[in-house]
Amino acid sequence: MTLTVGVLALQGGFYEHINLLRKASRQLGPRGQDTKLIEVRNSTELSTCDALVIPGGESTTMALVAAQSGLLEPLRKFVKVDKKPVWGTCAGLILLAEAANDTKKGGQELVGGLAVRVHRNHFGRQVESFITDLSLPFLASSPGQNGSGTPAPYSGVFIRAPIVEALLTSEGSPDSPERSPVEIMGVLPGRRTKATAASTTAPDTKPGEVPKDLGDVIAVRQDNVFGTSFHPELTDDTRIHVWWLDQVVERVGGQWR
Amino acid sequence: MGENGDGINLAAPATNGASKKTFAVKAGLAQMLKGGVIMDVTDAVQARIAEEAGACAVMALERVPADIRRDGGVARMSDPDKIKEIQAAVSIPVMAKARIGHFVECQILEALAVDYIDESEVLTPADNMFHVEKSDFNVPFVCGCRNLGEALRRIAEGAAMIRTKGEAGTGDVVEAVKHMRTVKRDIAQAQAALAEGETSVRQLARELGCDAALLKQTAELGRLPVVNFAAGGVATPADAALMMQLGCDGVFVGSGIFKSGDATKRAKAIVQAVTHFKDAKVLAEVSTGLGEAMVGINCDKMKPEEKMAGRGW
Repeated sequence: MTLTVGVLALQGGFYEHINLLRKASRQLGPRGQDTKLIEVRNSTELSTCDALVIPGGESTTMALVAAQSGLLEPLRKFVKVDKKPVWGTCAGLILLAEAANDTKKGGQELVGGLAVRVHRNHFGRQVESFITDLSLPFLASSPGQNGSGTPAPYSGVFIRAPIVEALLTSEGSPDSPERSPVEIMGVLPGRRTKATAASTTAPDTKPGEVPKDLGDVIAVRQDNVFGTSFHPELTDDTRIHVWWLDQVVERVGGQWR
Repeated sequence: MGENGDGINLAAPATNGASKKTFAVKAGLAQMLKGGVIMDVTDAVQARIAEEAGACAVMALERVPADIRRDGGVARMSDPDKIKEIQAAVSIPVMAKARIGHFVECQILEALAVDYIDESEVLTPADNMFHVEKSDFNVPFVCGCRNLGEALRRIAEGAAMIRTKGEAGTGDVVEAVKHMRTVKRDIAQAQAALAEGETSVRQLARELGCDAALLKQTAELGRLPVVNFAAGGVATPADAALMMQLGCDGVFVGSGIFKSGDATKRAKAIVQAVTHFKDAKVLAEVSTGLGEAMVGINCDKMKPEEKMAGRGW
């Protein structure tokens, strides 16, 4: 049976994701061979998907085009009700957050799914964009890593990138009482400490706030939803795509194998 | 540019140490703009209309090309005040134009932290021999082209994004179509040369006046090695979808929006048209009842010296 993985193609770097997912499915060998990759622009296309990637791009554009294309509610259902695997990168992470700061005037529509608050354009304008090596421990369990040792650094491309600035408690949200807590999957060490040097003397962290000495949170997961601040689709490194697709195969495949 | 003597490296380098500004970071923002519409705006009010319509970026200008054309005289970089006003109004990327070869205007725009600089033929050129050496800047550049040779010369100078020149301020898409078709034909020619061997690629590079390594890379990719938008004369959703179907990655709309009857509605319609460029039903829907399009100037009736696309070397 075919596994259909969609990439939201309203705007942004969707082609790059399809390319890397194609390579990743080959690297998964027999497990990945029945993967079909499609561009998603409307609810009919979305309804055929078992999993979805929301690419980088402009989150305001994607939200507005999604609303005008009648895709916002189907996306929310896909993520929160059907709980299908979804991965958002940069703008995709913003759309998958329950709350966002520094949005356009009047705020923006979000899909939600991750109980976090993101800070848009956290590092500033394009002149502050950068590439840096990331240590991503979860890649140790990626197929091809043989499950042992420290994975090699991952080249993180941050372009006008957001970060996760707060973890929201999902208590009191009646629609999803059984949700798992948000897992922090990657941090950018040092930067946050530097940015808030004046306040580092106060070690107390309010519940839900990200501990200040941890660094900027740039990758999170909560149940079926995964988000990264950076752009794996702008590298040649397939490891995150392989890791994610492997879990999709496991999760979705388990239902009919 | 040839960072490693073998074309440009779009993908982020595998690993090494601290953060660094590379071509990948500059070209990466252009990749994130794909499938989107970049709109010319002259003040905060227009910038907000563009953002609310779903523009993926705005181009901050004092006058749209149609007005530059009408007013005549020397067209220069915008007043920094105007650019700051627009930056403060929106959360999407803000681009600005500098004159061809005017590297000090570019330095000023970099100091203002604009997200992209358009070294643009719409403004009056400041240098009749050279374009700006764009690799020296941290801010990425977009440049216009009429053919592959011109595109690759700009990329060699450090441009991280290309657009067709078209004929700005006319509302006539014919020149943008011509430039896109010319680039495609040139790429097909480069692929034929590559099949013949390295000698043919070098010979074609001499004819087109571009770097042989970049030409070879283009032939191997079957497309420009950076993102390529349409610009110059796009006035309707159908124009935008036409350019997308011809293979452009996204669309700049200059005078077409704020010189039309209902700017808000037209802006939204063009954004929809660029996403759903292959879906004629959606295109029919969004093309309906848009009010008056910009009146426009027929490119056939223009004298050569009236055309902006001829600026650039």
